[in-house]
Amino acid sequence: MLPPTNRCAKRRNHTSLLAGVLAALLLFVTGTAQAIPAYARQTGAACADCHAGAYGPALTPYGMRFKLGGYTDTDGKGTKIPLALQLTETHSNPARGDSSTTLSEGDLYLAGRLTDQVGGFVKVEADHTGHNTYNTKLSSVDLRFVAKELKIGGKDTLFGISVNNSPGFNDPISALPSASFLGPAGITGSLLNPSSPNSLANRVIGATAYALYDDNWYGEAGTYRSLPTSQQDHLGYNIGGDPGRLRDTAYGRFAYMKDMKKQFFSAGVVGLTTKRQLPRSGPSDDIVDLGYDLTYQYLGNRDHIVQLAYVNILEKRDYGSTPLIGGVLARDKGIVHDQTMTVTYTFKQTYGLTFTHFKSTGSRDLARFGPSGDPDTTTNLISLYWAPFGKDDSYTSIANLKLAATWFRFSRFAGREDDIFFAPPGTQRTDARDLNAFSISASIAF
Amino acid sequence: MSLSNRFYLALFALVAGGLATPATRAGDAAAGKDVFKSECAECHAVAEGRNKKGPSLFGIVGRKAGSVAGYDYSDALKQSPWTWTTEQLHTYLSQPAKKANPGTKMKYDGLDDAKDLDNLISYLETLH
Repeated sequence: MLPPTNRCAKRRNHTSLLAGVLAALLLFVTGTAQAIPAYARQTGAACADCHAGAYGPALTPYGMRFKLGGYTDTDGKGTKIPLALQLTETHSNPARGDSSTTLSEGDLYLAGRLTDQVGGFVKVEADHTGHNTYNTKLSSVDLRFVAKELKIGGKDTLFGISVNNSPGFNDPISALPSASFLGPAGITGSLLNPSSPNSLANRVIGATAYALYDDNWYGEAGTYRSLPTSQQDHLGYNIGGDPGRLRDTAYGRFAYMKDMKKQFFSAGVVGLTTKRQLPRSGPSDDIVDLGYDLTYQYLGNRDHIVQLAYVNILEKRDYGSTPLIGGVLARDKGIVHDQTMTVTYTFKQTYGLTFTHFKSTGSRDLARFGPSGDPDTTTNLISLYWAPFGKDDSYTSIANLKLAATWFRFSRFAGREDDIFFAPPGTQRTDARDLNAFSISASIAF
Repeated sequence: MSLSNRFYLALFALVAGGLATPATRAGDAAAGKDVFKSECAECHAVAEGRNKKGPSLFGIVGRKAGSVAGYDYSDALKQSPWTWTTEQLHTYLSQPAKKANPGTKMKYDGLDDAKDLDNLISYLETLH
């Protein structure tokens, strides 16, 4: 534990970290990739064909194939306008602080096919930032070229190229944190987790080549580089979240997936390696992420759908320097360990209940991880929702509404349950549960 | 021909004729609806005129293959002489679609479970 004289500096760091954590929580509320009505209009399919809950986000095996195919499937009835809109009104009730009701987010999706081989997904997002102002930013991007219906060794094979701005966002299984937007929020985290401080999500650009062999074997490899801070600024991002300069970055993914119509399972591994300078004028850290993920879906006749996913990512860091922070020398190596377990039950693709358990742990570092030196953070997300439309037999199958009640629960933050910021005597202390938040949201997409 | 011989001939003809008649596929349409939801519904709607990646299956039994208005069929299916009788559907759906109709756009590996297939076809017969 730090000497008392150094805790003030650490407390200031934690205040900014808290802001980052709460911002990351907003990702969970509205930032998840949802069913895109433009795709429904393009394919003639209902939202519920690709998503277990008709509003999304969890993909069915059919939705995975649509994504793998570069968003190019069509009902053959000519060109459709590849635009969709989403508006979200949120009532937020944090455990500490004022409640608020705002039009929290507006999204424009440019999503659809250009040709049989070229399609994409681009999201432009306007987030409420208070005082009736909104920040507009370029959110997720995934542009694809695909070559379908090839044969290798007599087996169906698909090849594709994806240009995207978040490693893992384009993953077909969509269990990786960048695709599900379900990653532990905390004072640190892996590069593959978009909820980590200074994450890569939407601030990098890269290309990956992928292949699906015999409908079951998926492989992908590619590279990324971070956008210059000036471009991040132009695209709507605060440069305080810059992921730093990346060199020698490689991303790889391999997975086996099996669609048995009434059931589905997958097992995969993922890796990312890079040399990162953060700040950009600073020394270079060697970072390696290695992870695995397991998923299972019971789909049956779609009346009762159960989906399970577990993701485990270990990040190894060799720091390029050991700075003295607050009088404490930082360590030269460290590990960060992100784990996410999600269970979702969906009834008639209309009512859903999701429970997610997040655990972020890592090696102790008094200089880098605040007063306790312990980054361990444990959180839960519980969400209950109703999505009445978007099915073949509903009022409309190509537009949708979602009402959701969501509860975030912190049971541990920065290694502590109580007094997480080491409040001086006589001042208000903050416990982990004070970060809890409850929200009710209404979203429409058309 | 004696009367008894005629009787035996008639009996033979009756039995032989009965054997030559295709066996009735007694499926459970309600169970077939569940099979449809897991095997077919992503690409086919049952509402009249509603085409998805595949054509509407409203009125499929008894319909000429490749005949739904407004759906862009493959040449292979447009040129097919088939009518979707229950027997033709059984033959088509019990094997990979690209084997049954080379050149088709339909991607389907076939339904191995005979009971599920009978149930599915019984459900398709109700779509009128």
